[in-house]
Amino acid sequence: MKKIGITTTVPVEVLIAAGYEPVDLNNIFVTSTEYENYIDIAERDGFPKSSCAWIKGIYGVCIQEGIDEIIGVVEGDCSNTKSLLEVLSLHNIKIHSFSFPHSHRLEDVKKEIQKFMNIFNVSEKVVEEVRIQLNTIREKVKEIDELTYIDGKITGFENHLYQVSLSDFNGSPEAFSNELDNVIASGKNRESVNKAIRLGYIGVPPMTGDIYDYVENHNAHFVYNEVQREFAFPRYKKAANIYEQYYDYTYPYDNEYRLKELKKQIEDRQLDALVHYTQAFCHRAIEDIYLKSQLDIPILHIEGDKINRLDARTKLRIEAFLDMVYDRCPSNI
Amino acid sequence: MRVLGIDLGSREVKIAMFDGDGLVFKDKMSTMSFYKECCSFDGILKVDVSKIGIDGFDVGISTGYGRNNTDLSRFKAINEIKAHVYGARFQTGLDDFILLDIGGQDIKVVKVEKGIMTDLELNEKCAASCGRYLENMASVLEVSLDEMSGFYENPVTLNSTCAVFSESELIGKIAEGVSLEAMCAGINFSLYQRLRPMLTKFKGKKLVVSGGVANNKAIHKFLKRDYEEVVTLAEPQWNGAIGCCYYGLKFF
Ligand code: SF4
Repeated sequence: MKKIGITTTVPVEVLIAAGYEPVDLNNIFVTSTEYENYIDIAERDGFPKSSCAWIKGIYGVCIQEGIDEIIGVVEGDCSNTKSLLEVLSLHNIKIHSFSFPHSHRLEDVKKEIQKFMNIFNVSEKVVEEVRIQLNTIREKVKEIDELTYIDGKITGFENHLYQVSLSDFNGSPEAFSNELDNVIASGKNRESVNKAIRLGYIGVPPMTGDIYDYVENHNAHFVYNEVQREFAFPRYKKAANIYEQYYDYTYPYDNEYRLKELKKQIEDRQLDALVHYTQAFCHRAIEDIYLKSQLDIPILHIEGDKINRLDARTKLRIEAFLDMVYDRCPSNI
Repeated sequence: MRVLGIDLGSREVKIAMFDGDGLVFKDKMSTMSFYKECCSFDGILKVDVSKIGIDGFDVGISTGYGRNNTDLSRFKAINEIKAHVYGARFQTGLDDFILLDIGGQDIKVVKVEKGIMTDLELNEKCAASCGRYLENMASVLEVSLDEMSGFYENPVTLNSTCAVFSESELIGKIAEGVSLEAMCAGINFSLYQRLRPMLTKFKGKKLVVSGGVANNKAIHKFLKRDYEEVVTLAEPQWNGAIGCCYYGLKFF
């Protein structure tokens, strides 16, 4: 199977139907011990200091790992991706783009996905067959999510990891599905862990994966991973077809729409506070103003840059924040 | 319920007492005399509250510099930032503000949103922008701190990074015959200039000032240039101790 790089979640059903093996370049970047090297490659080729680490990391991965075909999401995700694609085309990398239309109208989403199917020359029928197959895996990840927020048996980090992996099904839906079966089976046998503070993680997945362990040492745990969960399409059952499924996706559209789901999850999962993660130099940091004004729950905004571990100052902030949130926890009053 | 709050500062210990839900007693003493006169050591540091003029309390909360190495018996120790945030909330009734605490040897800037700290900055290593600087400079000029704090017009330029250099510069200015008013204003202004880099990350509408230096009128004037509203607490020096009382009242 031929590999194809993706910069974020795209209708992966189309790619699989076309016989491709999609590879989420973010996952390669962030899990690699080489991650600094990837950033370095981009900076040496002229990427400015003031562009975000993800863009540079993805670039470095493409160059270093010999990716020769890539899909970039140019609307609804990051406008930097458009420039990234142009630069990649200079390296003889075949580029495609996909958009989650700003209008967020079903017919526009449909048009985009149909365009996408035409590029890869697959029919709606085959795509639907793949979608139905993949949905059995989505269901397993939903179960993992429940094992986190209802049963306390799957950690916040695992929850993040398995949900975020649905952008590319870890390269092999079948192997990934088996892995999930094992995780679910062994997770069910664990003791429940219940920390005093129930946290929600909102914003893009972190560069600093150690945040999950760090909060657990301060009597808190993440029982909600907003964007990762969106990558996993937890509401797939409500969708009659692929168009509706990708329409009902909060992350690439407007914040008003995103907020409805956020509010619902804060309520359902009985969250005490949120941590909003954004990346240095990212427009999403501005969204913090909007979210804070619309959500009536304590929110700590933290920012990651190039280092994949929390720095001392951020740790101190998280600790002092959790300390005060703890005072308000129902379990503590 | 009688709640006793103790803020163990590096130079002074501040004590506050709530009875019901209000402040009924406050006192402060040098850290040295607090340890010498009011405490005894018996494996754990014990406070004899009668020596601080109190005849008993139901809940005791402590915070501050000494809270980790002096485990006061009968006291629950809380994080200093938290104590200051609670103190400021109690004293102002505000839930969203920037808190600037200028103490004798350290500075804290804390962002408070929805009643909870969400960001902070602490000075490290150098105490050039703290109360101690003002005290030193006032003694060079042989004026009281209070008198010095009133001057803010036509400040003479002093080194804005180093407090030690400022001292020798000040002597030079005296020799040049610069007026006392301009020198006092210059001292206050140089402290403000050293605070500014810490505050730039914390632009906001309301600034609440606590700590000993909150009483400095000149600093207040300068800070007003950067914030729509600058609130000085009624008891700026007792803010940490009051925060302890508030915490004890709310969460015990
Ligand atoms: S973190 Fe922000 S700037 Fe970076 S790729 Fe994502 S959306 Fe773009």
